[in-house]
Amino acid sequence: MSFEEKMNESGEDEKSKRLNISLLRYMWEASPLYFKESYHTFFRNLSVLKSFSDNDIRIFTTYLHRREFETNEAIFKYGDSGYGFYFIHSGSVSIQEPGGEEIVHLEKSKFFGELALLDEGHRRPATAIATTPTVLLGIFKPDLDKMLESHPVLGAKFVHESAMILANKIGHMTKEIMALRRKLEALEKKN
Amino acid sequence: MKKNQIVKVYLFFAILIAALAFMVKFPRLTLPFGFSYILYLMINPVASRILRGNNQQRIIYSLFFTACACLLVVPLVATLYNAETDFKQLLKHIPELRVKLQFKYLQFRELFIDKTGVKLSLDPVTYIMRNVESQGANLLSSIPTLVSTILEWMLLVPLFLYFFFKESKTLKVKFMEFIPNSIFEKTYVLFSQFNTKFGEYIIAKFIEATILGSLVTLGLILVSFPYPFILGIVAGVTNILPYVGPIIGFVPAIAVALLSQNPDVTLLSATLIYLIANAVDMVLVFPLLVSKIVNLHPILVVVSVLAGGQIGGAVGMIVVIPMVAFIQLLFKEIYQDLNAQ
Repeated sequence: MSFEEKMNESGEDEKSKRLNISLLRYMWEASPLYFKESYHTFFRNLSVLKSFSDNDIRIFTTYLHRREFETNEAIFKYGDSGYGFYFIHSGSVSIQEPGGEEIVHLEKSKFFGELALLDEGHRRPATAIATTPTVLLGIFKPDLDKMLESHPVLGAKFVHESAMILANKIGHMTKEIMALRRKLEALEKKN
Repeated sequence: MKKNQIVKVYLFFAILIAALAFMVKFPRLTLPFGFSYILYLMINPVASRILRGNNQQRIIYSLFFTACACLLVVPLVATLYNAETDFKQLLKHIPELRVKLQFKYLQFRELFIDKTGVKLSLDPVTYIMRNVESQGANLLSSIPTLVSTILEWMLLVPLFLYFFFKESKTLKVKFMEFIPNSIFEKTYVLFSQFNTKFGEYIIAKFIEATILGSLVTLGLILVSFPYPFILGIVAGVTNILPYVGPIIGFVPAIAVALLSQNPDVTLLSATLIYLIANAVDMVLVFPLLVSKIVNLHPILVVVSVLAGGQIGGAVGMIVVIPMVAFIQLLFKEIYQDLNAQ
């Protein structure tokens, strides 16, 4: 006797034959694949990884480390040896000067620490502190080395993206320096 | 640092110490586990190289590495097979060896009395031979235990190895989640560096020992020196120990040379072969394979090897070098951090 016949015999109505969506959803969310899927959606929406295909992102997420931080917990401090590049999956991070003055406030989907991956013997130039309960996805130097070894094309793509981030930052800084210089010259002329 | 973060750090180290204590308490499980881990570290770089790239590249890589493995393993198996015959012959000749050694020692003793007037004790030869005989008897009596251990390892090592290949990535990520945030970056990087260095060091020493052992065996065969295979293996194995290894490896060859019909010529030829083999090792093999992996001061190496031997015997002597290299790296990191602060 099949399972369906048994159910009919025991007097179960049509309702029980329907798919139990909430149960399925619970099982899906409880599975380890759910987290990977959420990482995938997260990275798909990041403009910095726009050159990555879906498969690239799937492989890339296998190299990541999920780190959870409490409010006011230091992610790294000024002068620490730096080895990691972080993406903010949820929460917010404050990048501060050694004196405690905030340089920039970063929210979900932003990233920081990219220089640590490319620079040998890198020391953190600022302190990073979680301002709310925060989840970060970090990739570290050994992971990048392994990625370059096992998935060289993906590794090169990621290094290229990191270099692009740095180039953008340098471009932005150059513009700021030029603006400051102009302001300084204007002030000198006034005086 | 907040109180709960400090608790996390202490808890992490407490778990680590408990795991180490468990490992020390159950060596029957820990030893094959550790051996499998070393094998995993040796095979993993080769495996990842084969797995990357397209199918054609994989086939070429697989063929290349299989050829390399055959070049290493076939002479090794052949040597082991011939070494068994050598060993049996050597055991048969032990009483003869005893008489000849005693005779040589007495000759040397008389010469020493003539030259210096000092009387040497008669004990050393008797002591050494008694030790050799008792060790041989011990080896024979421990064969059943040895066989059961080998069978146990034959079951456990492939199982652990499969487990490492299948689960190591997931397990590593899970283990990393337990590391407190405040020490995560540094711990992770040091752990990765240690793993890489350790695997590279073991594989480099294995290749170095095989090359040196083969050179000694070949040389001894060329000059028709007795027991070439067993002496080659002894030279290869003892070469794993830095600095003192080559000297220890040469001692059995001296004993065998003294027993020959023409000891002076035999000893000279053996000395030349060992010198050439060790020179090739020092000039070519060591600088190319090993020196880049661990960069330690020679005195530190000797002290570490002695300490390693005291703690963990022959295995301790081999494993201690990458361990010390790792500790040196750790201290460098701490020192740099203190300087930066």
